[in-house]
Amino acid sequence: MLKMENVTKIYRTGLVETRALRDFSLEVEEGEFVTITGPSGSGKTTFLNVSGLLDGFEQGKYWLDGKDVSRLSDREMSRIRNEKIGFIFQSFNLIPDLDVFDNVDVPLRYRGLSAKERKERIERAVAQVGLSSRLRHLPSQLSGGQQQRVAIARVLAGDPKMILADEPTGNLDSAMAREIMDLLEQINEAGTTIIMVTHSPEHAQRANRQLHIADGRMVDFERIAPFPLNQVHPVQETARRTAS
Amino acid sequence: MLLYNLRLAARSIRRHPVLTGLIVAGIALGVAVSTTFLTVYNTLARDPIPGKSDRLHYVRLDSWDPRDAYSEDGAPPQQVTYQDLRRIMRSDIPTRQAAMFKSRMYIYPEKAGDRPFRELVRLTFSDFFPMFDVPFRYGSGWSRSADEKPEAVVVISSELNDRLFGGENSVGRKIRIEEGEFRVVGVLDQWRPRVLFYDMTQNPNQEPENVFMPFNFIEPMEIQTAGNLMGWRQEEGDGFLERLHASEMAFAQMWVQLDDAAQVKAYHSFLDAYAMDQKKSGRFQRPLNNRVTPVLELMEEWEVVPRQSRSLALISLLFLVVAALNLVGLFLGKFLARASTVGVRRALGASRRAIFLQHLVECELVGVLGGLAGLLLSLGSIAAVNRFYQPGAADEAFFQLDARMVGAAIVLSLIAAAIAGIYPAWRICAIPPARHLKNQ
Repeated sequence: MLKMENVTKIYRTGLVETRALRDFSLEVEEGEFVTITGPSGSGKTTFLNVSGLLDGFEQGKYWLDGKDVSRLSDREMSRIRNEKIGFIFQSFNLIPDLDVFDNVDVPLRYRGLSAKERKERIERAVAQVGLSSRLRHLPSQLSGGQQQRVAIARVLAGDPKMILADEPTGNLDSAMAREIMDLLEQINEAGTTIIMVTHSPEHAQRANRQLHIADGRMVDFERIAPFPLNQVHPVQETARRTAS
Repeated sequence: MLLYNLRLAARSIRRHPVLTGLIVAGIALGVAVSTTFLTVYNTLARDPIPGKSDRLHYVRLDSWDPRDAYSEDGAPPQQVTYQDLRRIMRSDIPTRQAAMFKSRMYIYPEKAGDRPFRELVRLTFSDFFPMFDVPFRYGSGWSRSADEKPEAVVVISSELNDRLFGGENSVGRKIRIEEGEFRVVGVLDQWRPRVLFYDMTQNPNQEPENVFMPFNFIEPMEIQTAGNLMGWRQEEGDGFLERLHASEMAFAQMWVQLDDAAQVKAYHSFLDAYAMDQKKSGRFQRPLNNRVTPVLELMEEWEVVPRQSRSLALISLLFLVVAALNLVGLFLGKFLARASTVGVRRALGASRRAIFLQHLVECELVGVLGGLAGLLLSLGSIAAVNRFYQPGAADEAFFQLDARMVGAAIVLSLIAAAIAGIYPAWRICAIPPARHLKNQ
């Protein structure tokens, strides 16, 4: 589904260069549920931005759903974001002056679907997250958990192949966070690839695969073996300590 | 997508009423100033007799002083002499023709006790009315035979008809003008050409005269012009008639209707032949310089539309541009304040172009609101210009906001909004979406 090879992302501020991703390589199969952990400033958000085509990169190659998306025009990137990628953010990122219906409608508007199809998709997606009775509510009239469910409905309505979730439970209490995780698991079980950045070891463990980013590089726990099973690999130890 | 963008724009306008109000006021002010001055210019420069102006030609003959040209630009005198107009009117080339001048005469009302009053009277020929498409409320112009004798007939304006006859159909009624009694044959309908195109030798913005009578009363009534007299030599002869017939004083306007290029060419040749013939008797000693000029060309040549009004119209457009440029900052502030929601839209699939269009539509909607407010303001400013231009005038306003100007105001407001909004819309769509999302 997603393949990155030696991707390097540099931020320049005046004369200062910051390498947010360094020779970053990763492959995620279709249908996987991958969680990413790492300390602040390790490159997690940069990775999500690059993989979500929200930001470019200086070196390396990136394939998404089998297509090289390393160097695309804004229009092509926008189309891929609209059709193949769904975003879930920590702060929900709903548009405050649009009600639930219109918020879920946003990505569908840019896809050019008919009014009838949009309405069907919106109602189905909002029902899936259990908010059918709140269609005309503004985000400010909903709880945090409900807002995140609207954000998930917005993703579901677009029916993407891959969901990028940036700490989706970060602003929620534990009960609501579990609900959101349950929802994400259901979506993943239906075949959608999910890559989720999280600080929570509990939530990270619910994924098929856990990855760790440190200093702009990927550390894949599953590829740390072979290492004596009765010992903890130093990288893994560092990662777990940082994550907790 | 346009409707969607319009809905978003309307929502944004409702959400920021004060900021939007400021922008609307800025555009409204610029549009009002531009629309007012464009209306003034448009009114003065408009074709005064559309559909016919290219066929109506003003005649000028260069009978001026052999030693000194009439004007530095080489143009012949603006008017023709009596002796010349009598001769050239014998031509049968024009479809219609009418010489004319204005005078001021006393009118004596029928009603006992009403005091006599002076009115401007235009002496002209019967072709004047059909040639200039003059509208009649009652009756019509006089006949060609009435030109010859001449018959004591007049055409009066509806205003004078109101004053003398209480607005009734006065055809057949009598009016005493100076020492003569004249029969009314026609009453004009409302007739207010934007430019007094048939006599632009003085103030071209005057209203038409209230009385029209056959030209040939000039001799029996010894009528003097109330317009310009253009002479270059000491006049000779005893008495009015002798001097009139021999005079080189140009005081009459001469119009001919020539329907095609061949007719124009033939008439021009006729004038040149006439001038050549006059040279034999010692007149027309200057090089041939006769002109047959269509209405709009004459207006241009004589600068009937003051240069100042054109300059003011241009300056007012610049004012609008400056007003629009001043609004760039307001739009920019408004748009950048919502950068985070733009980031969300970009993440959800909006292209740069879609974001640009969304914001441009908002600018244009604000622009249209500004244009409508500007139109309301310009109604007031045009009324003020009318009061200044025609103090005390009770009739129809001279400068009016017509459909064309309403359209122009809307187009100007769209242009102003585009000037004010393009840069902010471009800025907001050019910022990478990831940066917007960080701000959420």
